[in-house]
This record gives sequence, structure tokens and C-alpha cells, in this order.
Amino acid sequence: MKNLNRILTLACGMAMLGVGCDKDDIDAIYDFGDRETSGKYKYVITATPAGTTGIADYLLSTDQLDNGAITTAGNGIEQDGSYRYYMTHKGRFFSLLYGQGNPGAVTTYRFDSAGSKLLKTSEFQTETVQAFTKVNDELLLIKIPRSGVETASFYRIDALKSQQIGSAAINIVQLAANGERAHFTWATQVGDKVFAPYMSIKGCCNDAFGTVYPDSTWVAVLSYPDLKVEKVIRDNRTSYIGNYFNDGLGVTENGDIYGFSSAIATNTSKVISTKPSAVVRILKGTTEFDKSYFFDVEEASGGHKISAQTYLGNNKFLLMMYGDKHANTGNRKMALVDVAEKSFGWIKGGPEDIQSSSAPYNNNTGSGDGELGYIGINTATGSWIYKIDIKTATATRGLEVQGGKITAITKVEY
Amino acid sequence: MMYLKKLLLLSLLLSLTFTMFAQSGNDATIKGMLKNEQGESLAGASISLPDHTNKTVSDHRGQFQLKGIRPGKRVLIISLIGYKKYQLEVNAIAGETATVNVSMQADMKHMEAVSVIGRTPLQNVQRQAYNLTAIDAKKLHNTTLDLAHALDRVSGIRVREDGGLGSRMNFSLNGFSGRQVKMFLDGIPMENFGSSFQLNNIPINLADRVEVYKGVVPVWLGADALGGAVNIVTSNVKQSYLDASYSFGSFNTHRSAVNAAYVANSGFTAQLNVFQNYSDNDYKVRVQATNLETKQYYPATWVRRFNDTYHNETLIANVGVVGKKYADKLLVGITLGQNYAELQTGARMKTVYGELHRRGNIVMPTLKYQVKDLFVKGLNLSVNGNYNLGTEQVIDTVSRLYNWFGQWEANTKGAERERSLYKFKNNNGIGTANLNYRLNEHHLFSVNNVYTTFNRKGSDELFPENAKYEQPQKSFKNVLGLSYQYDYNEKWTTSLFAKNYNQVNKYAESYNPTGGWGDVAYRELSNKMNNWGYGAATAYFLLPTLQVKASYEKSYRLPEGEELFGDMQLLEGNVTLRPESSNNYNVGASWQTKLNDDHRFSVDANFLYRNATDFIRPTLNRNQIKQSNENLGGITNMGVDGEIRYSFKRIFTAGVNMTYQNLRNNTKFESEQKTVSPTYRDRIPNIPYMFGNADASLFFKNVLKKGNHLTVGYNFQYVHEFFLSWPGQGTAGEKLTIPRQFCQDVNVVYALADGRYNVAVECKNLVNNRNYDNFSLQKPGRAFNVKLRYFISKK
Repeated sequence: MKNLNRILTLACGMAMLGVGCDKDDIDAIYDFGDRETSGKYKYVITATPAGTTGIADYLLSTDQLDNGAITTAGNGIEQDGSYRYYMTHKGRFFSLLYGQGNPGAVTTYRFDSAGSKLLKTSEFQTETVQAFTKVNDELLLIKIPRSGVETASFYRIDALKSQQIGSAAINIVQLAANGERAHFTWATQVGDKVFAPYMSIKGCCNDAFGTVYPDSTWVAVLSYPDLKVEKVIRDNRTSYIGNYFNDGLGVTENGDIYGFSSAIATNTSKVISTKPSAVVRILKGTTEFDKSYFFDVEEASGGHKISAQTYLGNNKFLLMMYGDKHANTGNRKMALVDVAEKSFGWIKGGPEDIQSSSAPYNNNTGSGDGELGYIGINTATGSWIYKIDIKTATATRGLEVQGGKITAITKVEY
Repeated sequence: MMYLKKLLLLSLLLSLTFTMFAQSGNDATIKGMLKNEQGESLAGASISLPDHTNKTVSDHRGQFQLKGIRPGKRVLIISLIGYKKYQLEVNAIAGETATVNVSMQADMKHMEAVSVIGRTPLQNVQRQAYNLTAIDAKKLHNTTLDLAHALDRVSGIRVREDGGLGSRMNFSLNGFSGRQVKMFLDGIPMENFGSSFQLNNIPINLADRVEVYKGVVPVWLGADALGGAVNIVTSNVKQSYLDASYSFGSFNTHRSAVNAAYVANSGFTAQLNVFQNYSDNDYKVRVQATNLETKQYYPATWVRRFNDTYHNETLIANVGVVGKKYADKLLVGITLGQNYAELQTGARMKTVYGELHRRGNIVMPTLKYQVKDLFVKGLNLSVNGNYNLGTEQVIDTVSRLYNWFGQWEANTKGAERERSLYKFKNNNGIGTANLNYRLNEHHLFSVNNVYTTFNRKGSDELFPENAKYEQPQKSFKNVLGLSYQYDYNEKWTTSLFAKNYNQVNKYAESYNPTGGWGDVAYRELSNKMNNWGYGAATAYFLLPTLQVKASYEKSYRLPEGEELFGDMQLLEGNVTLRPESSNNYNVGASWQTKLNDDHRFSVDANFLYRNATDFIRPTLNRNQIKQSNENLGGITNMGVDGEIRYSFKRIFTAGVNMTYQNLRNNTKFESEQKTVSPTYRDRIPNIPYMFGNADASLFFKNVLKKGNHLTVGYNFQYVHEFFLSWPGQGTAGEKLTIPRQFCQDVNVVYALADGRYNVAVECKNLVNNRNYDNFSLQKPGRAFNVKLRYFISKK
């Protein structure tokens, strides 16, 4: 009986062992109220450790991009989910989860008032979207189905409150009016309108992004905030503007709008565009392409097509060009163009083997005075922020990002 | 003196009959039959006389015969690994045959004292040189465990699940997970069984025992596995029985199972297994629901799950003959089953579904054939085959967005996730053949061949135009194994083996023959792969109570149909996948000891090392929409696991096991990178690396009435906290983790009439710990179950 008592005591002890307190699973959210920003900036670099898959970027913050090194080893904010995209607006840093067909989520961060730490301030649910932009004090998120449903959905988010304040839908098959679907490549606020270039895609048949209309250009002009299609601006001197998840419009200081076409429309994965990769223009205040303006970048570059663009100010754009001639393949090469002068020049001093670079659509890190631009470049031997001297079209190594592939660089006000 | 006493006791327990037959001649003959305590025939025992040169070995019926014995009082020595050596005096009379029937006693002293619940290695399988753990499933037949949860209590094994009954689960063994560990049912690979017949919906009552092979998979199991195998052995009793049970419990969970067999004296046999599981799975979870208007999250609150009903129904029927000359066993059967599962969440609990569900069924004819002493004595053949005609379907047609309160708003997708009524069949077939030849007591030769076919066919009534784009998706695999087992004596056994892996995949690639619009043509392509693997296993009894084992295998695993051709849902196929391979090393020891007759201990310890290359690991496809798999990189794992058990008389038993595995990324350079990977040698994330179980049982005999027994059992499970992502990356202290898990289960079993009627009451997760196996996916809280079981067997 003594033994039995001992056993029972032991059993009770074991039961007690498990009554540990469970940690709460809900993350801490910081509330900064309506604190105004101070006009000061910090940079946020997003980087994915090489070789990791299914894991979102780490958020690294830094005061400068010009020199030194920063690492993801033991440093940086870890994020949930697998793929994320970013935008800064109104002193907030928005991290959008790409939910692979599932509802997405947006996490909002702000720097504390001393600019020392990036803190999570809110989370809200969205759909997984393929294009997003800033309009007034809002974010405009666009979900564009590439097959099945024929409606693109637009969601308006109050950037200060991080909450949805409206939505709209556009039938993209009716918009294309050619039997295919209009797939918005991106959207840009122009005055009180939103200009949304689109590509025409089949949206079916195991070749969703294929098209039989490879030599046309379209920009839908949308009213705001009710998001009605007011007009479609058309052209046929080059192909569609931008690309899937790729911003192809730039607005210069004088209000003119430049559109960049890669001219790489495909059918069954083969490039079938017959027109050259080029820049076209919509003059300020008009909703027509400027027929007097055409910048054949493919010719100017000796046969290379545009992959992506970033505006650096004073009519200067940083272009990433496909390395292989007349094709959408090859390691990217950097070039600088002046769209007003139609001048093209390769950037000197950059690495030969650019495997990938920071996202162009949210890169707001330029010095703003026409002097400097920044781009994150990933190579086989490492990742660096490159500093672009605009006057001399020269790239030099700045901040090294150790361990991670740079996916985006942004400047966040605090 | 002790030894003599034991011998005396032993001989009391042995049944021994002694008969004489008249026979002519000057020499005597001794023949006999060997059985274990369960009455099963013992093959491979060596029988010798110290003053004679002739010796023999018992056949598969446990029979032996020794001729040419000089008349007189002779000592017969019978030995078999795992059993106590037995000596017996026989009076050999010239011209006559002496017959002895011996019941051999297992050489594990604690076994005879106390029923050690759960994970006692069984004698007949433990004799093997492989690193093996066996679960005696019969001792768990009064619980509501399914096979997956029974396995979860074995050291080195971790079963992770997304939620409640029937939810998606992932099985890992020594750091290898998913398809890298092969599942077998009676030696037949389970890879084609579909969602209707899986470890997490098969009740434990279907199994007699479950064998877990760590690292090295014996040739007779066949097939390809990277890091181990689990073999479920169903009841093989050659007698009629009926085992019926029903349980009900929290979350409106109902399960029942009927297992029955009828064996006629003529050898005619009919077997029937029917089981069913149903649960609403409406357990409470703590979540942040969204405001459908503003899309902001409300503060965290407790809500009930509302789209998580699961049920499955399965029937397995076999008819045939047993114990015939032409067929030791010949069974023709069919497995019929279906399952229905609602999907409450996506990969994260932030994604909520209200209508999404899937269905599957299984229609699988089977054939089992075994014959012993084919053509010559000692040559045994078994042939098995099955073909699954079942279908799988995901139904997502409701255009709504739900939140955790069950509220919804219309969306524009035509679906909650991705519009689908896609229905497909994999047309999987498996044929296995196993040939053994025991030359004598020392030498055993085996050949095993497993052939697998896969032929995916599918369509979606919502998108009929896509049918013409459906292309051949076929895969044929053949794994041939050869092995040689050398039993030097009852102390030492060694196996050497080699396996050939062969795979042919056929698929089509689209191209545009003319460059014109919509002109799509396909050309058929095929991939062929051929690899050789090999290994060795050895075991030695240093002391009668101390066995040491070592084994090695260079293993390969061939990619399966779903990895090659996708699952038509979230997994995109990659037809260029190559086999993954691993070098698996194991060293283990097992020791039984006691303080005195009342206090007994057993200790098992294993050390393992794995070095895997060409690892098939998930990545995202080019559009980042779906997951795909790639042959990328490698890992190493240095691990230890061990178990200590204690028993006190027949009243109490307790045990504890722990597993530690040090899985490290061994990919120094990522593809197209010239700098050392930042995660090189970092711990592989999102895999538990330290976990354990503790259990205790109290036995009360003859409670209230003679023959009625009461058992009180307790199980405690622990999983150490682990990182979702690479431990070395990101700011420490702010990283996402899967919190440490505690789970305590208690059960009380009252068995009446020596186990004919049983009533069990269980409480799972006693103190209502909040547990997550996978990041943010909450598992059920405290749950109660009652199980009623009736068992009768004809001796």
C-alpha cells in the first residue's frame, strides 16, 4: 500500500507538470495614434536569405545606403507568410502578403519617434493583389484574375487608419473587347485620375499570359474614387506598357507621362511582338499618346529590350535591360535614359552577372536632386546596394547586404 | 543456484509431451515441434546434441527431425535468438522415434512479469538486426487512438497535424518526413491508397502490431524509402474472432470498427474489417476575426470552428484459403472506402473557409498469396497486388469570403480559394513479390521486387475546354532487392543487401508547331532513372539481456506521381525530379535488468547519423502561385533517442522516451551562388528537434468480480519549442516559433470477463493546453471519449 501511495503521488506530480501556462499567440501591436511624421527618413531593405524558400523577407533598417554592411544573420524583423510586397506611404511601411489565391494580409509598420525601431502598428485582411499604388492618402489595391472570373476588383485602403474604405469592380473581358482579358500591369495616379496600363491575355488553355495581340498599347483611364473606366488610350507603335507585377509608367516633374514597353508579348511562351521595345508619351493634361514622340530603346541600345524602369528625376530613368538581344532572357544590364532628349547610355561600373535586383515599383530612394539613385543588386558573389551617379552614368558599390538577396529598398519617413 | 532455480521454474512453464513410436533400426530418431508462448510456430531454431555432430533447424511449421541418434539418454539443446536456450533430456531408443513438443520462452524477463503497454519490442521482430521499434497494437485496442496517434508515442517519431480528426498530417521519422518515410500495410506499400485510407483514419484495432524501421529498411519490405519505413501488420490469427467497438466523445465524434475473421476447418477463410469515423471538429480556437466591412481584425476571441466536419467509412473484405499445401494463404479481397473533409482554414488561420471541402474514395481490389516450401524445402514465396480505382476531388464553387464568426460577403472569384470541381484518378497499381530461401540454420537468401504504376487522369466539369489539354502523366517504378542473411549462431546475425531502383516517367511537353494563334501540339517525352543502393545490418547479444545493433544503408527514394505531376491543387509537378538519396547509419543497444523480481528495468538507446543529398524539397513555382519540388541541397542529422521503462510486479509500469535530432543544412552553395549559403550548417527550421513521451499505467486485477480488470493509464507528451524559420536569421527574440507543447491524456479501462467486454473512458489534453503543431494552426483542447468494445475469439 505504501508503494501504491508513492505511485499515486508520482502520478499527481506528473499531471501537475503539464499545467504550464500557454503563451498568448497574438502578436504585440503598437499604437502611435495620429502622430505626425517629422520629415526625417530611414531606409528599409527587405532581404531573403539565399536558398530559403517559402519564407518571407527580413526587414532591415538602416540610416544610409552608401557604405558598410548589413546582415540578416541575427538581425531583422521576421515576417509570416512566404511572399510579400512593399509600399511606403504617409510614414507607414506596408507589407502585403501574396496569398497565392487565398485572402492576403497587410501588415503596417512605423518607426518609433526616434527612428530607432520599426514596429508593427496594424494588420488587416485583403485579397491577394497583383497591382497596388498610392492615390491621395489611400492605397489602391487591384486583384486581377488571369483565368476564370472576368472581374478585376479594386480595394481602397485608408493609409492612415489601415482599413478598407471602398471597393469597385471592372469587367476585364468587356474592357479588352477583343475576346481576351485586360490584365492591368500596374496603376499610377495622374492628377485626379488613375492611369492603368494593361496587357491583353488569353487567360486560359494552359497559356494564361499568351496573346494574339502582341503589338498594341493600352492605358485605361479610371475616375477616382468611383473607379469607372472613362477611356482607353491606345497605340500600335510598340507593345503593352509594363508587365505582370511590373510598373511601366513614369510621371516627370512637368506632369508628362512616359510609358515603357518591353515588347515581349508571348504566345505559348514564345515572344511574338514584332514592334520594338520603346518609350511612348502622354502629354500633361491629355488623354492621348503623343504621336510626335517615340523613343525606340531597342534600337538605341543595339537590340536590347527593357525589363523594368525606375524614375530618378529630371527626365532620367534607370532601366534594367535584358542581356540577350531581341529577347526576354539573359542577365540584366543597367542603362540610363533621358526620355526628353531620347538619349541612351549603358551604366558603367555595375556588376556583370546581375541575377536579380530590388523591386523597381516601390524604389523611392533617389536623392531627389538629380544626383544619385540607388538600386539593390544580387550577384553570384553577393548582394550590394549600388549607388548610381546620374551625371556620369556610373554605378559604385554602396552598402553590402550579407546573407540575403535584396528584394526591395525603400525610404520611410518617421 | 539462482540459475538452477530459474531453470526449474522454466521447466514448469514448458509444456512437454513425450511419446514413443515403434520403429526399426539401430539408431534412434528425435522429432519435435517448437512454439512460443502464444502458440505460434518458431522457425529457424537450431537443435543439436552435444555428443553428436548432426544438428538441424526448425522449419516454418516449427518442426524438426534428427536421425541417426545413438541410443541412450541424450541431451537435446534448442536455441533461438530472443528465446531462452533450452536443454532437455531425451531417452533415445534404438529403432524408435522420440517426439518432443517444446514451448520456448522469450528471453526478456520483464515481459513475463508485466504487460508493458504500448511500445515493447516484440520478440519475433526484435531478433532482426535492423533498428526497429514495434508497437503491440493489441494493447491499445481499448483506446480511441488511430494509427498515427499510436505512432506518435514512439521515440524518433513525430506526427504533426493541422487540426482535429481527419485533418492533414505529416509524419516524420528521425528528421525525414512526408513521402521520405514509406508506409506499408502487411508489407505492401501504401503509397497509392489515396485520402480515404490513411494512418490518421485507420483505427488501431485494425492492426496487430506496428513496426517502425529506422534508417534501414529490410529487403523483404521492398520499395524505396529515404529514411525508414512503417509496417502495419494486421491480424494474422488463424482462428475465428470478432472485435467490435464503438466510441463517442467531444466535438460530436463517433467512431466504430468491426473486425472479424472466420476460419473453417477446411481452411476456408473470410475476413472483414469495417470502420467509420465522424467528427464535427467544432472545437474552440482563439483567433482574430476580420470585420468584413473594414477588413480590420477584431481583438482575439474564442470561436467554434464551423467548416471542419470530417467523416470516412471503409470496408476491407477478403476471402480465400489458409493452410493448404498449394497456398499457405490465398486471399482475394477488396477495399472500399470514402471520405469527406471540410476545410476550415488555409495554411494560416487568418484564411477562413466556410464551404470549401474535398472528397475521395477508394476502390481497390487486392490479391495476397503465400506459399511455403515451394518446389524445395525452405523456399517461400509471397505475391501481392492491388490497384486503386479511387478518385479525389476538391469542391470550391461558392463565391464568398468568410470570417471566423461565420459571416460572409460575396467575392468576385467564383470560389473561396480557386474555383474547382477537378476530379482525378491516379490509377495506381502495385505488385510485390518476395522469395525467401533458407538453405539451413545459417543462411537465408531473399529476393524482393516491387512494381508501381501511376497514370493520372482528370477533368473539371467547370472547365470542360481544358480537357483537350490533359496530357499523359505516367510513372512506372520498379525496385528490386536482394539480401543475404547469415546467422552465425543464436547470438549473432548479419544481413547484407542491395537494391536496384528504376523509374520511367512519361509526360508531354507543349509546343507551337506553326507559330500561329492557338496552335498547340504536344510531344511525348520520357525520363529514365536507374540507381543502386546497398547496406548491411548486424546484431549481437553481448549478454543474454544485452543486444547491440549496427546498420547502414545507402538509400534512394524515387519521386512519386504527385511530386512529378502535381496534386492538381497547391502542388505543381516537376517531371525533371531525380531520386533523392541518403547515407543512413544506426547504432543501438537494448538492455534488460532488474533490482530484484519486483523491480525491473529496460533501457533502449539509439544513435543515428543521416547524410542526405539531392533532397527533394519544396520551393515556389515561377509565378509563386503554387508549390513545386526541386532536388536541392542536403542535410545531415546526428540524433539520439532512448527509452527507459520500469515495472513493479504486475501492478505498475512506467516509461519515458526522449528524442533529440540535430538536423543541419548541408548545402554549402545554393544554386548559382558562389558565396557560402548564410544558412549553411544552420538548424533546419520548422521541424521539431527535441520531444518525448512519458507514460504510466496501474493495473488492478479482479476488480468487483473475478476476471474483471481495471487499468488506469496516463500519457504525457512534450515537444520543445522550435523556430518556424532559420534560427540564425533575423533578430533573436522577435522570431516566429511554434511554442513548446504539453499534452496529457488519461484513460481508465475496465475489462470484464477477461477482456470480452471493455469500457474505456479517456480524457485527451487533460489540462486544456493550447497546442500548435504547425505555425498558428490550433489543435483541439480538452476532449472526452468513451469506448465500448466487445471481443471474442475461438481458441
